[in-house]
Amino acid sequence: MTTPPTQADTLLARADALRQALPENFRDQLVQALYTEAESVARRAVRAEGQRTDWDSRLDRLVTSPLFGLPIMLLILAVVFWLTITGANVPSALLADGLFWFEDQAAALFTALGAPWWLTGFVWHGVWRSLAWVVSVMLPPMAIFFPCFTFLEDLGYLPRVAFNLDWLFKQAGAHGKQSLTMTMGFGCNAAGVIATRVIDSPRERLIAILTNNFVPCNGRFPTLIMLATVFVAAAFPPALASVAAAGSVVMVVLIGVLFTLVISALLSRTLLRGEASAFSLELPPFRRPDVKRILYTSLIDRTIFVLWRAIQTAAPAGAVIWLLANLTLGGRALAWHVADFLNPLGWAIGLDGVILLAYIIAIPANEIVVPTMLMVYMGVGMMTDTPGLTELRTLLIGQHGWTMLTAVNLMLFALLHNPCATTILTMWKETHSLKWTTLGALGPLAIAFLVCFITASLARLLGWA
Amino acid sequence: MNYPVFLALILALVAAVAWPRFGLLALWQRLRANRRRIRTEDALKHLHACAWRGQSATLQSLAGALHLTLAGAVRLVGELEAQGLLRAAEDGLHLTPDGEQIAVAVIRAHRLWERYLVDEARMPLAEVHHEAERREHSRSAEALGALDAALGHPAADPHGDPIPTVTGRIERVESRPLTDWPLDAPARIVHLEDEPAALFAQIAAEGLRPGQTLRVLESAPQRLTLSDGRKTFALAPLVAANIFVAPEPANGHPADRRLTALKQGERALVRALDDGLQGFTRRRLLDLGLTPGVPVTAELPSLFGDPVAYRVRGTLIALRRDQAEQVLIAEPASAAPAPSPSAQE
Repeated sequence: MTTPPTQADTLLARADALRQALPENFRDQLVQALYTEAESVARRAVRAEGQRTDWDSRLDRLVTSPLFGLPIMLLILAVVFWLTITGANVPSALLADGLFWFEDQAAALFTALGAPWWLTGFVWHGVWRSLAWVVSVMLPPMAIFFPCFTFLEDLGYLPRVAFNLDWLFKQAGAHGKQSLTMTMGFGCNAAGVIATRVIDSPRERLIAILTNNFVPCNGRFPTLIMLATVFVAAAFPPALASVAAAGSVVMVVLIGVLFTLVISALLSRTLLRGEASAFSLELPPFRRPDVKRILYTSLIDRTIFVLWRAIQTAAPAGAVIWLLANLTLGGRALAWHVADFLNPLGWAIGLDGVILLAYIIAIPANEIVVPTMLMVYMGVGMMTDTPGLTELRTLLIGQHGWTMLTAVNLMLFALLHNPCATTILTMWKETHSLKWTTLGALGPLAIAFLVCFITASLARLLGWA
Repeated sequence: MNYPVFLALILALVAAVAWPRFGLLALWQRLRANRRRIRTEDALKHLHACAWRGQSATLQSLAGALHLTLAGAVRLVGELEAQGLLRAAEDGLHLTPDGEQIAVAVIRAHRLWERYLVDEARMPLAEVHHEAERREHSRSAEALGALDAALGHPAADPHGDPIPTVTGRIERVESRPLTDWPLDAPARIVHLEDEPAALFAQIAAEGLRPGQTLRVLESAPQRLTLSDGRKTFALAPLVAANIFVAPEPANGHPADRRLTALKQGERALVRALDDGLQGFTRRRLLDLGLTPGVPVTAELPSLFGDPVAYRVRGTLIALRRDQAEQVLIAEPASAAPAPSPSAQE
């Protein structure tokens, strides 16, 4: 350094010297000074009234007790699911009826006006039908699930869940609040990914984002329930059928939780190394939930927001589906050509080409997997509702060779496969990283293929299928 | 094969190899230049480390540190001498002022990265050295300055080594290896030698960290027995020689009680946060109101017993065991009103 020191250099040197003279943890003193000031203001301005009620801490002890804590949690979760699934049935059917009635009227009007069949088909039986499907399957469960979730949040119960389960997540190198984002994922994985904002350390947050997909969302539940009723419940006497079906769905959910923990542990030991860290969680006092706020946050912030994103992706999917089913090549629908091409891969993982095709088309929204599958199987030109149970059995088992292996693997595939386009988009918006978004999209897909391949090979080796 | 296609193929191949900036050749050259720079920086760092310890670097020590053959080391020294970065003399190799400037900049990058990896990325202490070795070479002055500022201009890395300032000044901390320390005198760990990695891994596995206060209970040829007031440690002298200590300041508290010692329903005053705890976690605990002098009550264990909820300033806050470990509390007897800020060490 040959140049004479400038004014800036002298200033920097002086700053350096002064910095050395600071006590080691002067930041502690800063924070302490802030708190002292805040305390003195609070003492002058705030008057404390009444003591903490006794029932409050008794309730706290109950929901965190080693004996009752877990059963209470599972019970509440079960009640929320039951409310969501049974409560959504009627409004879903009403919505579907209404929207499909509109489709019929509009299509009839188009025909009456002399529009060519392909225009009517494309617009109403393709794009509109897909939208109608997504809205009617998605909206009612979300409109029930999200308020329930927000109610528990507002009540102060959800932070206790994170508090209780943190130890499990700590073993996986993750954050206890991940249990909350997972619960949110039952409603919608995209909402679950957004909910990871509550996790304040970036590493643990990324783990929660990447694994949120392993809890099945509302859009995937119908597939699971359909399979459970057609295959599992049929193997039991009628009295036990619904219990068996519910039990198998619960099994799948538990497998999903297991995968979440295992993959989180794997991530925190490989790509996202670091110590399970900086866990701190405020447990707010229990309080009476505010109904107006619940309705606002759950319906406007969560339901409508998610629905809007889903609609944006479902419309183009509807167009593609209609084209695949109605464009023919050599006398067969394009869909069948693609399905035939995918068949060997499908066979290797215990599924078939049509199922894979349905999953490719359904990347925008998982709600349309089953209708698309049925459309191709039945050889009709538009997405089709589930026929009666007996017809469904004949169609799948009789005509298209489904076995128990197909059912089990489809359940696993539905649970583990790549997130829907909405969720992928949300991952990108939350991480702003191509790398993590790609991993979040393709990682689960690879895992789904691997797991299904293993179960299929095992089953075939042991002569079960 | 038809002629134009063949020609196009050849052209494409040539372009792929020789294209300026993006071709294979340019890529390879850049890779080589990069590797040469890394080796240069590692060599200068070695020289600096020797000078810091008061030893003189030799061709042999350089070859050993960089895993080179002696002939390779001779060649490297020749190159560096030609660049005016070092000077070979009778008594060994010495840095020129230019060489020293580069060495100090690399060391600064290394230690800042270590600080970052421990405080913000929260990597285990035993793994940060390796990662920092990789990152120290890709530094830009602005990025480092920003990192330094974001970390709050830390004075030392997580092993206790001083971080050079941007002007290149390195504060020297007086210390002695633990093997030279008298029995029973309180000693504060100021520095842990991070190389060789195998020895450091043992130190880290014992949970020893800079800022901790120890006493040597017993010194035998085979092993040293240490105590921090709660736990005793047995270390081989070879390991203990890599722990550097200084006298404990007068207001030290040899036997620290931690927040984890509180039983359900017990109350105590926070004395301080552990000095080993820095960065994100420390800020978080302070922000939650765990400042010196504040009363804390252990209120609610969770289902599995690990996070425990503590009542601080009227709020119930759950802390994991390893975080609660970092909060030092005052003995109930000395539970006096809030101590002045200067009560911290």
